[in-house]
Amino acid sequence: MTAPPQLRAGPGPGDAGTAAAVIQTEALTKRYTSEVTALDGLTVAFAPGITGLVGANGAGKSTLIKILLGLLPPTSGRAVVLGHDAAASGERIRTLTGYMPEHDCLPPDVTGTEFVTHLGRMSGLPATAAKERAADSLRHVGLYEERYRQVGTYSTGMKQRVKLAQALVGDPRLLLLDEPTIGLDPAGRRAMLDLISRIGAEFGISIVVSSHLLGEIEQICDQLVVIDGGKLLRSDTMTSFTQVSQVLLIEVDEGIAGLVADLAARGLAPRRSGRRGLLVRIDGEQTYDTVRDAVADLGLPLNRLEQQRRRVEELFRDNGDDEEEER
Amino acid sequence: MTADNAAAAAGPAPVAGAGVIHDLGYRHYDGPRLGRPGIIRALYWHSLRSAFGIGRGAKAKIVPVLMFALICLPAIVNAIARAQHPGQSPIVNYDTYTYPLRSLVMLIFVAAQAPELVSRDLRSHVLPLYMSRPLRRLDYPLAKLAAFTAACLLMLEIPLIILYVGNILSAGGGSAVWAQTRALIPGMGVAALWAVLLAAIGLVLASLTGRRAYATGMIAIYLFLTFTLSTILVNVAQQGPGGPKGGPFGPNAVEPLGARLGGLISPFSVLDGVRQWLGGTNTSPIPPPGSVGFLYGIMFLLLLAASLAGLAARYRKVGAA
Repeated sequence: MTAPPQLRAGPGPGDAGTAAAVIQTEALTKRYTSEVTALDGLTVAFAPGITGLVGANGAGKSTLIKILLGLLPPTSGRAVVLGHDAAASGERIRTLTGYMPEHDCLPPDVTGTEFVTHLGRMSGLPATAAKERAADSLRHVGLYEERYRQVGTYSTGMKQRVKLAQALVGDPRLLLLDEPTIGLDPAGRRAMLDLISRIGAEFGISIVVSSHLLGEIEQICDQLVVIDGGKLLRSDTMTSFTQVSQVLLIEVDEGIAGLVADLAARGLAPRRSGRRGLLVRIDGEQTYDTVRDAVADLGLPLNRLEQQRRRVEELFRDNGDDEEEER
Repeated sequence: MTADNAAAAAGPAPVAGAGVIHDLGYRHYDGPRLGRPGIIRALYWHSLRSAFGIGRGAKAKIVPVLMFALICLPAIVNAIARAQHPGQSPIVNYDTYTYPLRSLVMLIFVAAQAPELVSRDLRSHVLPLYMSRPLRRLDYPLAKLAAFTAACLLMLEIPLIILYVGNILSAGGGSAVWAQTRALIPGMGVAALWAVLLAAIGLVLASLTGRRAYATGMIAIYLFLTFTLSTILVNVAQQGPGGPKGGPFGPNAVEPLGARLGGLISPFSVLDGVRQWLGGTNTSPIPPPGSVGFLYGIMFLLLLAASLAGLAARYRKVGAA
């Protein structure tokens, strides 16, 4: 999905901080014990817009979110959120930030409206405003009549929406969403991602959305931050991620083994894709020429030659070793 | 505050009232925000209401309403009796206030309602949401403790006020009213001690588990077991070799040491021991502690301190998780 960038950069909540990074960490380290290091010298900046925070389970995503909310003191280094130091001004940050936890956090025996209203009060809204904003938030996440029902009767998708609504109720400048698609079926995931994308684009709220599934959130993000073992693996805008991920799919009816050898000899690194397909990384115009020459020289029946935009996930899977070298 | 509320309400209201465009898109909130004290106050009121099942279903109101009616009963009976026989002396005292009934009612109230305030939130893992608000780690237990203490205060003080009103309505003359007022004040003080201690004990025990039934059982068993044990100890000591001199309920009776110490086990008898140590003279099932009265004072403070420390430790841990 390529939303026009000007939408995201549009009239934000009007703060000097929005021009710069929304979140900035410097050599952020969190050690629980001498053996368990959750974050290891993480230095990264999150720009306004939607940022995907990607990493395997245990990569340090949840720890990072807790530090950003000022709930967990870092062992060393520092984090600045919306211009406030996380260790010193946690309360201020939490006034400006909405948080959606990963796990279930809803009492079953209250209605959606009651629950979100109460958490609106807890965000500092006066009683009347909390009621209004709760109704608004629930409407924005797509809950209408259901909001008068007890939360315990909700489907998983509706529960996730209520969790999002309570994060939204205090009119935050920044949303931290921890695995918002967890437990949802494909349609539910799609709907949740659309919702997040819309909030980021239309509401002028910066969003950090964490996931262990890169392929899932890459479509809605402006930027990706990939962490692994508490360290920064990569941080870049989606545009540059996709630029390097241009690949060429070559499909021939026969002689694929010979073509692999020939392309390898010509300096490309082809990888098999399916039974008759090959993928090579595009390094400019000459890649096309090389492939054309190789196919012509071998006299192979070329079926398909197609430029593809690989999903970022594949890029990481395929080039894991390269990434190590780059660091 | 109310002006702020009005301003906040007035802001978006005209737009909503227009009723033409339904999807208004996202609106930012630029009205007033309550700071941390305001949020704690909101949580306090929310918790106080839930202690009586207000804002919950009808089922949640059964126990608190029933217990409230039960604890008011002696005061109402007293008022009726006094109205019919104005000369009669009060049948219920302000400071002891039917000690066995009060203990039983408060036992049930605390065991049933303390989990309502804290165990539910633990069970549904809603605490991280509170922690993500502009609150500090101990603000949540603080608001809960204040709310539950207030709830217990209402349970204990309102009957005293009914008792007082019943007494002065049938009292003849200003001096009688003054005498009633002077008797009421220490009674209110004793009730406050009850509220503070029982609320703290109830909440710390309830905060140990997210299972409501377990929490209720734990509180009820602790309070009931210690109550029974202390009663048995007192009875055994009273019948022992160092038995009562001058009869157990005589005006100058000195109970054996074992009987005077037996009350230290149970929070209820600790509360009554403190009352007697502080000068309360009305008799109750708890033997006058006499020279060991200060031990009841120390025990009260120890129980309270342990409960508060436990509550703080518990939420420091839960908050970090």
